[in-house]
This record gives sequence, structure tokens and C-alpha cells, in this order.
Amino acid sequence: MTESNEPKPSTQSFLRIFRAVIVLLVMGWIAWVVYTPVIDPNTTHPFKLGLDLAGGSHLVYEADVSKIDPAEVPELMNVLRDVIERRVNIFGVSEPIVQVESSSFVTDEQIERLVVELPGVTDVGQAVAEIGRTPLLEFKLYDAELDAAQQATLSSLESLGESASGTVDIGNVLVNGEAVTDEPPFTDTGLTGRYLESASLEFAGGQGGQLSNEPLVSVRFTREGGDLFEAITRANVNNQLGIFLDGELLSAPNINEPIAGGTAVISGGFTPDEARELAQNLSFGALPVPIELQSTQTIGASLGEEVLQKGVRAGMIGFGLVILFMMLWYRLPGAIAGVALISYITVMLALFQYIPVTLTAAGLAGFILSLGMAVDANVLVFERMKEEYRAGSGSREAARVGFARAWSAIRDGNITSLLSAIILFWFGTSLVKGFALVFGLGVIVSMLSALLVTRTFLLTLPDVEKKSGTLLSKLFGNGLKW
Amino acid sequence: MNVITHRTLFLSIGALVVALSIGIIAIFGLKVGIDFTGGSLTEVSYEVAPDKAAVEALVLELGLDGSSVRESLDEAGSDAFLIRTRDLSESERVNLSDAVISLGSGGEISRFTSIGPVIGQELRDKAVWAIGAVLLVIILYVAYAFAGIGTPVRSWTYGGITIMVLIHDILVPTAVMALLGLWLGAEIDVLFVMALLAVLGYSVNDTIVIFDRVREQLVANRTEHRVEREEAGIVMADVTYTLDKPYAELVAAAVSQSLARSINTSVTTMVSLIALYFIGGDVTQTFALVLLAGVIAGTYSSICIASPLVVAYAKWRGVDVDSVQTTKVI
Repeated sequence: MTESNEPKPSTQSFLRIFRAVIVLLVMGWIAWVVYTPVIDPNTTHPFKLGLDLAGGSHLVYEADVSKIDPAEVPELMNVLRDVIERRVNIFGVSEPIVQVESSSFVTDEQIERLVVELPGVTDVGQAVAEIGRTPLLEFKLYDAELDAAQQATLSSLESLGESASGTVDIGNVLVNGEAVTDEPPFTDTGLTGRYLESASLEFAGGQGGQLSNEPLVSVRFTREGGDLFEAITRANVNNQLGIFLDGELLSAPNINEPIAGGTAVISGGFTPDEARELAQNLSFGALPVPIELQSTQTIGASLGEEVLQKGVRAGMIGFGLVILFMMLWYRLPGAIAGVALISYITVMLALFQYIPVTLTAAGLAGFILSLGMAVDANVLVFERMKEEYRAGSGSREAARVGFARAWSAIRDGNITSLLSAIILFWFGTSLVKGFALVFGLGVIVSMLSALLVTRTFLLTLPDVEKKSGTLLSKLFGNGLKW
Repeated sequence: MNVITHRTLFLSIGALVVALSIGIIAIFGLKVGIDFTGGSLTEVSYEVAPDKAAVEALVLELGLDGSSVRESLDEAGSDAFLIRTRDLSESERVNLSDAVISLGSGGEISRFTSIGPVIGQELRDKAVWAIGAVLLVIILYVAYAFAGIGTPVRSWTYGGITIMVLIHDILVPTAVMALLGLWLGAEIDVLFVMALLAVLGYSVNDTIVIFDRVREQLVANRTEHRVEREEAGIVMADVTYTLDKPYAELVAAAVSQSLARSINTSVTTMVSLIALYFIGGDVTQTFALVLLAGVIAGTYSSICIASPLVVAYAKWRGVDVDSVQTTKVI
């Protein structure tokens, strides 16, 4: 006599119920995790609302990295981000976002952008002005050779102008394709505000030929910047080092000797107030590269709240309608699809909180759309199940076969959707990326909700046959006619 | 009604819809929004709104030619105007804001967007690249899924037809957008591109599910013929399949078996979208409408275009679709 490996029917039914209880407990737990941040204001994982829902300002700056070695660009952009972040923190808004966005490889030109999001700040003018206060500090060396060449060009132009019996506006003249200026030429040294550690206001002591009590700004470089400063001054003794603020020459002191120690003093005929403001602005950090405002966007706070409320209401009603339809058409299995849909929603909301995914009006609309599409795997299974059930199989067997048969369609549909989502995520700008992320997550979660939740509960239901004709057997039928 | 036997009718309707959509798009054109062209959009809302003409005159007075003013309602339901101008500098923005606010009582700038022309260009480039890559991957995947099962047409055909159906499904909502632009002044923005991407996902999924059923029918109703031969000591097998039923009949069975699923999924998707349209915020109304058009088009095309087109193509390639066939694995 051979002993069967199959567990006894009573053990099997216990296992089925046990699994269903586990699934319910996990769902309940996830729902609790999602719900607590809503009632707890001090949560570490709140829903992140995009500016179009929370209200606020969105600024995009383009950084001029044309003069920078491409290998150094990522680091410089990080320095820039930190500087602007410190600046933006002055607003005291909760969770400002400052992020670097590089153009992708599909565009010819490498463009580096800085995106600043200020939730709650609706006066975009004030925001622009505040960020615009960040100084651009550069140290450049006087180039005597270039100056001589420039002077020669100028004097020849002047004589040309005299012989042509008129005046030549040198601003309009191009020599070798470059504008002629009468300003002394300076060349970049690579020493900029990125190496700045701190800045403070000082007053000159009156010695060394300086005016007594002239206000000065003393800057301290980082260790790296200090070394660079020492190397530059060592190699260029007796040359002039020009100090430029926002592209304007402030002063060009003579380098008398190599300067070690990593500090420099900026003088430029400041009034005490000017010097204090400069020191203050510099202490927040200076721009490592010039930036230019490219786009701004403001959304009023009340507008965002209205959109959010309407979106949530639309989502709840959409959810109700989908479940109602599923229950009317597929009856008991339809109700289970409803449970699977609830698990889809809770898992997605939990992912939104913990990844985190910033919710925008578009994202909310996409999520509402996904409620209708998420039941697709269930519909596929129920249709297959219906065929088996009508052919005389018991409901449990029909469910099992239904899942097996529907699998290839679920797989193919979901794989193409996932591939699309990955490509969109890879290529897209931030908005499209957000869409692709939610779309891709939705595909995976809805498939899992059908395979885990729907399957577990369907197999836990009592086994009936269609021909028994009981109410329960009718509950496994479908269509409007009972 | 069997969509395969009446395929000429259903394909003609599909062709007509495509021609009509192209016609609408070509004649009325699409209003491209500042997301793609660059420019500024200012929404000013009032308690008591001034005349549209007054706002237009004011915008011209400020030297902002080529601007457009459109009446609208803001989210709270107050009268508002949407003023679209070229990319504004900071001082121009302040001038415009101050001027329009003082035109009516209780004026307030409820929304301001400004986008440089470079961002718009980049957005356009990226969208084109992304969609191209998605289409390529879909063709490859569908061809792979159908490879080696022995169909009367090449496995590439199914991928190709999935894309043709997709073009139909994208054209219909785009034509709807052109009409919305004509009647309501709706503009193509990033949200519209996302709606099209969602339609793309829906359409491909819907078509693939039916093709999956076709594949299952083919596999279930074929007889394998294996001829082994020896070549240089290696045993090679030539495998051919005979379909036990006519190809058209198998495809028709696949369509009728997937009918309930296609319709039910489109119903659940449409009720969500209808809820979004009527209850959701104003900013996503156009999105919902465009998607609704896309879902209806996608449902029609996956049932009434995709499979009939496969059969019509097979017949055109000389396959006798109405009798039992011998097909070779390609």
C-alpha cells in the first residue's frame, strides 16, 4: 500500500484559510502604515505633494559650463546646488527642493540646469531676487602680453578712425571675430567662489599704505583653494591678481610675495554697509559658475488644494464605480477583485510615501486611470475561469485553470507595458519620469495583487459546481442575468 | 456578428476614422502650448472681471505683440483670463502682473508659468526619441512571442500590426485634441503627451491580449509533421505544421473569446476616466477627455482592426485563410 503525499483535505482547507488570513493581515498592516502619516503631523514619511498641488514657485536656472572641463562639471554642479540650497533655506519653507538636471544624450549640447522648488512661496519675484543675491566671485590674473596686443589694436583703430575723418565706436568693431575692449584683459585661474569657506568683515589697520579703517572683506579658502591660491601667487609674483564680483572687476592688487595660509582680502572702496552685505552674501557661498534664470512657474496655494481635493474625490468615486461594475458583472469573484483593488491602492500609496514619489495633478490623474486598468488581470482570469466553470469544473478547479491559462496574456501585456515604462523613465524629463515610474509600479503591483490576493481568496472560497444550482453556485456565474 | 467574416466593413470603418482624424488634424491644426514652444502663461482671476477686450488692449499697450488672451475659470470658479505671451523677463512679468491686477476688482495672479525656448525644444526631442524606442521594443517583443509557433504569416507581422493599430489609437485622441483646441482653445502640453503615452500602453496591452489568444488557438489546433534527415552526420529536423481549422476561423474564435474581457476592461477604465472628468480638477479635464477618446479607439481597434487586419494581410500574401493550411516554421 502506498501512502499519498497529498495532505488530508482538512489540512488543505486549514492551509487555505491560513493563507487568506495572512494576506488579510499583511494588507491591514500596509493600510495602517499608509494611514498613520495622514493623522500624524510629525511623520517621517508624509505624502510628497508636487508644487501644482501644494502651491509654490518652480524656478529653472541654466548654468554656464562652457568654460569648464567636462570632467569637473558634475562636481561643480553639486557645489552650485549646495550654495543655492543654503540660499533657499533663508525662505524658511519646509522642504525646498534644489536639484541638478543634466540634459540627456539625445540633445547635441550638454546643458546643466538647476531646478529650485519652493513650496508655499508664491511671490516668485522675491524668490528670484533672493537667489540672485548669491555672488559670483572669481580671481583672475592680469595678462600683460594680451594687454599690449590690445593696446596696439586700439591705437591702430584710433588712427584708422582719424584718417577716415570720423569716429569709430570701438564697441562695434570686431577683430578676429572678437569684440575690442579697452578694459585690461584678465585670464581665468580656476580659483573661484567654489573654494570659499567663509567670509568676514574687517577694517584695515591703517598700515601698508591702505586708508585707515577702510572696510574690507576677508575670505578664507578651503584647504584645496588655499593651496591653489598659494600656487598662483607663487608663480605670478609682481603680477596683478584681479578680483571679480559678478563679472565686475573690484580691485587688482599687486602680488608682492607668495601668499600661504589660505586667506585673501578683498578691497574695493566699499562703504561699511556694502562690505557687510558682501561678507554676508559670500558667507552663504559663492557661485562656482554663472547661472541664468530660464523659466519660472507659480501656483497659488488655494488652487493646488482645490485640485488635490477634487482629485481625491474623483479617485474615490472612480474606485467605487469600478468595484460596483465588477460586483454586478462577476458577482462573488468581482467582489474579490475589489479586495485586490484595495490592496493595489494601499500598496501604491505606501510606495508613494516611502520611495518617495512626488504627487502632482498629472500623477493623481494617472493613478485614477490606473484604478480602471488594474483590474484587467482579474478580468482576464475571470473570463478564463468562466469557460471552465461553464464546462462543468468545480469553482476552485476553474479558478486554478483560469490563472494558468490567463498567465501568458497577463505576462505579455505586462512585459510590454514595463518595457515602455523603463524606456520612458530612461529618456524622459522629470515630469515624464514621474509618469513612467508610477505607470511601471502600477503594472507590477496590479499584477501581484491579482496573482496573490485574488488567487488566495478565490481558492479559499467553498468549492461549488454550476450544476448544483444553489445560490452560491450562481454567485460564481457572471453577466446581468442570474 | 463575426468581425473576421465582415472584416472589410470593420477595416473600412477603421480606415475612415484614420482618414477623418488626419483630415481634422491637418485642417484645424494643433495648438502647441508653451511647454513646447517656450513662452509665458499668466492666469489672473478676479472677483469682478473686466472685459476681455480691455485685457487685450492692455497687453498690446505693454508692447507684448503676438500674445493671446483667453477667458477661463480658475479652480475656485472665479472669472479669470489666461494670457499667453512670449518668454517674459522679470521686469516685464512685474509690469504685466501689476497692470492686469488693477484692471478689475479683487485681481490676483493665480498661476504664472514661464518656459525658455531651449527647454521646449529639448522636451520635444526627448518625447520623439522615447516614443520611437518604445515602438521598436514592442515590435521586437511581439515578434519574439510569436516566433516558432508556426503561423501562416511571419511573426513580425503581429508586431507590425500592433504598431499600425497603435497609430490609429494615437490619431483619434490627437484629432479630439485638435477639436478641443478649436472649440475651447486647449493647448498641447506635457499632460497631453502623458495622455498619449497612457493610450499607447492601453492600446498595446489590449492588442497583445487578443494576439495571445490567437497564438493559443494556433498552438491548440496544429498538427506537427517532423521530417528528419541526416546531413554530414548531424540529424536535422524539418518541422512543418498543419492547422486543423482554417486560419480565419481560428482568429475569429480568438476574437470572440477575448470580446468580454476587452469590453469589461474598457468599461472599468472608462468609469474611472468619467469620474476624473466630472469630479476631478479642471486642469485634468482635457487629459480625461483625450484619454477617453483613446480608450474607445483602443477598444474598437483591438477587436475590429487588429485581428481582421492580420487575416486580410495573410490573404493578400497569398495564404488561403478559409481552408486548412500547411505552414512552415520560419
